[in-house]
Amino acid sequence: MPEMVQRHRNVLLWLGTVLILLTVVSTIPQIYGLKFAPGILPWLGLLLPAAAVLCLVVGVSRAFKQPQIYRGKTLGSILGFLALVLFAGSVWLYSHARDLPKSASAPKVGQKAPDFTLKDTAGQPVTLAQMLSIPIDSASGKAPKAVLLIFYRGYW
Amino acid sequence: MRGIQKDLKEFHDAGIRPVAISVDSPEDSAKLCSTAGYTFPVLSDPNAETIRRYDLLHTAGGLGGTDISRPAEFLVDSTGTVRWVNFTEDIRVRAKAEDMLAAAKEIH
Repeated sequence: MPEMVQRHRNVLLWLGTVLILLTVVSTIPQIYGLKFAPGILPWLGLLLPAAAVLCLVVGVSRAFKQPQIYRGKTLGSILGFLALVLFAGSVWLYSHARDLPKSASAPKVGQKAPDFTLKDTAGQPVTLAQMLSIPIDSASGKAPKAVLLIFYRGYW
Repeated sequence: MRGIQKDLKEFHDAGIRPVAISVDSPEDSAKLCSTAGYTFPVLSDPNAETIRRYDLLHTAGGLGGTDISRPAEFLVDSTGTVRWVNFTEDIRVRAKAEDMLAAAKEIH
């Protein structure tokens, strides 16, 4: 009777799965529109799925080459495909997130900020000059030191 | 903008009034303010005139190919002069509130 060999768990497949989950988790701040996401997030979004692909490719290839030792031919292949799709998506997202206009003629430090008249949420016209002169705190009556203009993409 | 709202008292104490601008209509901006709890001015530039004048127009950058503003921050002192700017390279990364507060403290 041939000796039964206990096959190993294919640890790389588990690691790959964890990395896939971490990739998904790292996109959550974006989904919730957390606009002050840390600067490392775009790199994590690329590195995590890349590492997942690497783990799964090695894990699956050893499951096929040494099936007597390593499990996971089917599950590993599915996970590997998932990781590849996720990586392709993250590359697209990365390039999309950086596809921004040059804004070469935007006001520079030391230049005057162009005045504007825009409607507030009540539909009332507001000018930059007003924003710079109306006191923040009506009790103190002091004009603000500065205005921080935050241009943003919108509420979609 | 959530970060700004979170540190709004610090901005106000530093004499800084945050003012947000996008192509959204006043109605959409009002909705955003009520859901996100923003209490600083949020202004509408539906035709992107001001956004164009600031050279921030991101053509077809919005959902459905609409023209929107790219993210950018300007600190403008009481004489109307720009004192600090920030243009992110990645729409997922924005200026940190602490950096903006530090820039604000340079203004006397």
